[in-house]
Amino acid sequence: MTLIGQRIPKLDAADKATGRSRYIQDLRLPGLLEARVLRSTVPHGRIVSVDVSRAREAPGVFAVLASQDIPPKRYGYAKDTTALKGDRVRRIGDEIAAVAAVDADAAAEALDLIRFEIEPLPAVFDPERTLDPGAPLVHEDRGSNLVRTHDYAHGRVEEGFARAAHVVEGTFRLPAQAHGCLGPAGAVAEWDARGRLTLHDPTQIPFLIQRDLADTLGIPPSDLRIIQPTIAGGFGARLDLYPHEIISALLARAAGRPVRLAMDREEDFATDPVRPRTVVRMRTAAAADGALLAREADVIVDCGAYVSWGAVTPIVMMHTMGSFYRVPHVKYRARTVYTNTAPTGAFRGFGNPEITFAIESQMDELAARIGIDPVEMRLRNANQPGEVTPQGSRITSCGMKECLEAVRERMPPPGTRPPGGRPLLRAAGENLVASATQTETESPSSPAICPAGRIEGTEPARSPLRRGIGVAAVFHVGGGARIYRSDGCGAMVKIDDFGKATVVVGATDIGQGMETVAAQMAAEELGVPLEAVRIAPADTDVRPWDVGVHASRTTFIAGNAVRAAAKDAKRQIEAARTALGLPPDTPYDKVVRSEHFRDQGSLVIGRAYFDPPNAMVDAENKGNVSAAYVFGAHAAEVEVDVETGQVRVLRVVAAHDVGRAINPMYVEGQIEGGVMQGIGYALLEEVILREGGMSNPNFLDYRMPGPQDMPSIETVIVETNDPSGPFGAKGIGEPPLVPVAAAIANAVANATGVRLRELPMTPERVWRALRAWADVEAPGEICGKE
Amino acid sequence: MRPFDYVEPRSVDEAVALLSRGGERTRLLAGGTDLIPRLRRRQWRIDRLIGLRRIDGLRDLTLEDGVLAIGAGVTLEELAASTTVSDVCPLLAEAARLMASPQVRALATIGGNLCHASPAADLAPPLLCLNATLRAIGPSGGRDIPIGEFFTGPGRSALRDGELLVQVRVPAVEGRGVYLKFSPRRAMDLAVVGVACFRSHGVATVAVGAAAPTPLRVPASPDEAAARCSPIDDLRASAEYRREMVRVLTRRALEIVP
Repeated sequence: MTLIGQRIPKLDAADKATGRSRYIQDLRLPGLLEARVLRSTVPHGRIVSVDVSRAREAPGVFAVLASQDIPPKRYGYAKDTTALKGDRVRRIGDEIAAVAAVDADAAAEALDLIRFEIEPLPAVFDPERTLDPGAPLVHEDRGSNLVRTHDYAHGRVEEGFARAAHVVEGTFRLPAQAHGCLGPAGAVAEWDARGRLTLHDPTQIPFLIQRDLADTLGIPPSDLRIIQPTIAGGFGARLDLYPHEIISALLARAAGRPVRLAMDREEDFATDPVRPRTVVRMRTAAAADGALLAREADVIVDCGAYVSWGAVTPIVMMHTMGSFYRVPHVKYRARTVYTNTAPTGAFRGFGNPEITFAIESQMDELAARIGIDPVEMRLRNANQPGEVTPQGSRITSCGMKECLEAVRERMPPPGTRPPGGRPLLRAAGENLVASATQTETESPSSPAICPAGRIEGTEPARSPLRRGIGVAAVFHVGGGARIYRSDGCGAMVKIDDFGKATVVVGATDIGQGMETVAAQMAAEELGVPLEAVRIAPADTDVRPWDVGVHASRTTFIAGNAVRAAAKDAKRQIEAARTALGLPPDTPYDKVVRSEHFRDQGSLVIGRAYFDPPNAMVDAENKGNVSAAYVFGAHAAEVEVDVETGQVRVLRVVAAHDVGRAINPMYVEGQIEGGVMQGIGYALLEEVILREGGMSNPNFLDYRMPGPQDMPSIETVIVETNDPSGPFGAKGIGEPPLVPVAAAIANAVANATGVRLRELPMTPERVWRALRAWADVEAPGEICGKE
Repeated sequence: MRPFDYVEPRSVDEAVALLSRGGERTRLLAGGTDLIPRLRRRQWRIDRLIGLRRIDGLRDLTLEDGVLAIGAGVTLEELAASTTVSDVCPLLAEAARLMASPQVRALATIGGNLCHASPAADLAPPLLCLNATLRAIGPSGGRDIPIGEFFTGPGRSALRDGELLVQVRVPAVEGRGVYLKFSPRRAMDLAVVGVACFRSHGVATVAVGAAAPTPLRVPASPDEAAARCSPIDDLRASAEYRREMVRVLTRRALEIVP
């Protein structure tokens, strides 16, 4: 093998770095119109009237649509909404009318001319209150704000708790997290004269959109072609059919011209399918020796006003509940609920960061009660290779133990490290690839005063700074996830007359590097250099089926498909050589030409379809949803300013079992990016709601970490060579985000003795927690250990 | 953005004439880092924009007779990078360096930061400590406004209709200063609370930002400073927390500048 495991730059790296990549905002078409949407400014109300007549007369306007102008077709997971709202608005930001005009300014001016009246209705915003008797109903016809309940159990949980030596209990509150993709959402729709629609759309699910949007528009799916431009960030934000996609198509049809509906930043934030607000009430029991006995959780997940993927996160949480560590007795109930807020969606990790925050916080609480090292506590309960969990997860390869040991080795407790910061990397085990990445933040000896006025270098007794270390592990799917009937992906490999290969694969590159990884695998199988492989454009008329880019499935699923298609092409080449009597070293181009420049010739096109050997869950919510599982462990070192509550992450060691790193550079990129988003989730990011609308829809007040907020990150790649992965590989897209918040909360508890069960751990929230603890417990002993 | 007239006067007098004729829907454009986003959001409707970039002298930065004279059009980046500013009042350079991002600092001006009159303006607390004077020119001539009288409320200043801020004058006084900007993020963030402290000949002066309707001079004592400010609850922090941070940061500032 030559190309597998190589640090090959992404195929589009130069285009992106030099501004050549074309995003949805860059698309230029003759006659292209720009659209804007009129949105509700009340969280719940009855639409009394909408009058668009003056807007239709405005200069430069080609089409104006309100709900009466469009097919009243409901869409979505629960078929509970229409693209333009007819009788009710159910959240601030709900779409009421839309305009297409010569440019965005003309469209915005026309919006101001639309007259509408909305009679406000009582609204409900708090997912913990929305099921109360008498709470306003978000969908009156449903009679309840409960969307659905998920139940799962194995063992007899009460028995587990009865036998326990230690039980910890707590309520964990997780905020809505916005994706903040570099490129705001948008789509361009154009119809041809025969009634066929082309939608340019940076979606993560082209083949599902094709079906769902066609159904909404009342056209055959084959009359809808999706072309994906370069995608400027996905992370789950582009995983469903959204109103802007439908509206752009309807406006383009009404205007008889192509139409772009592109969000500005505030709109992108305010309509973002955020990670749902989630409340987890959990208790965990352990025996005196640290063995876990029982785990029980009651979860509430906010769906917002309409059901999208946020409502499905309990399924992923359920797998972590049932399979993360060896727990004989588990009980789980999750309720998904409506509120008058933006619909919630998929976000990297998809429920797992939420439930893992609770599980891993309680692992540390239990370790402290028992008096054992937190890593030891986890090792004692770690999943093992070859294990079948009571939930039904068939674990094949498993590097959990190696990951935990790797972070323990690299992040010894404070005081045991050599002075001046980082320990030297130790000799790695055979299956460990160690690499230190990311710029170093300043060492403790650099500037005397930080911007926030932290005084360093003063004698420890007076210093307000406390340091601590925390660990957390992760369990996640890594070999697909069958939450839809198909978990498959198709691929074709065409060898052309010049000996070059074109890979046509259904999977989507959202910046994670899928196309380069596919090219690496195809080149490897064909035995040609990487330069001899190209990837066919992202177009549903060309590419074969794929369920979409989610669940950390693409390297595993698309990788297996591409690899098999390349093998098929190679087999055809070899068969042609034999049939034509060519010498075995005849180059590809000559074989291909000889094969088709003849009577009754044929072409060399390899093809394959890979659908992994996994299953949807059964009636008891049990089953092996993934063909492989991935594991990881993080250690974080933090510094807490106990006077201001500010938490700084100084260092993160992140070890992940990826089966096999096809391209270690991308694995490191995924880990670093996951740590960054995890730090945002842990410390800074929160969609702040006022009357259910986002009151911080900008990058100033929705704070994502900047370069100066990032710690030094040391990535450790653990290779376990999964038997069913392509070249041994498993998924890595989501897992690096999952344990970050828990590791940081554990580190804050280690530093201060105070445990935070609510995110983000903003300075004020930490300050309040420290103060409450100091008031209740022992004033002056704020640094006491829990 | 809606269409509007754009003019670029060549002198302060010409700008003042345009401004005083213009009324409410005429605005000045300096760096534009606050104005342009407001126009794009259609928050302000304007008829005319007066660009200040062609006016001689507004970007001068000189030390004359013991006074650092900073043109209102001097950018944050120029403040941060100027060796004169760093020599004469490093406190101001330090505050400028903690603001926004390199891209914004390259455009945003000292005049814009002050005239916007945000309670959280980072340059205000240092200038309050340093006893700066703001020179304004209007239809009836020029006048010097002590910075302590300049801010009159959130977004409001003592500038009269038709008046243009042309220069910020900072007396070069020997002493040591520090600006402590407290924000959740280490860059590209607004101060939750900002505290500047300047000690000269044994006497400390303290001023705070984001802790009252205007940037404010406060007593050089942590408890009295906290008592004097009148912060608000908003999505960035609660009033209670801001008051406590004024106390903590004032104490730290006084310790750092002994």
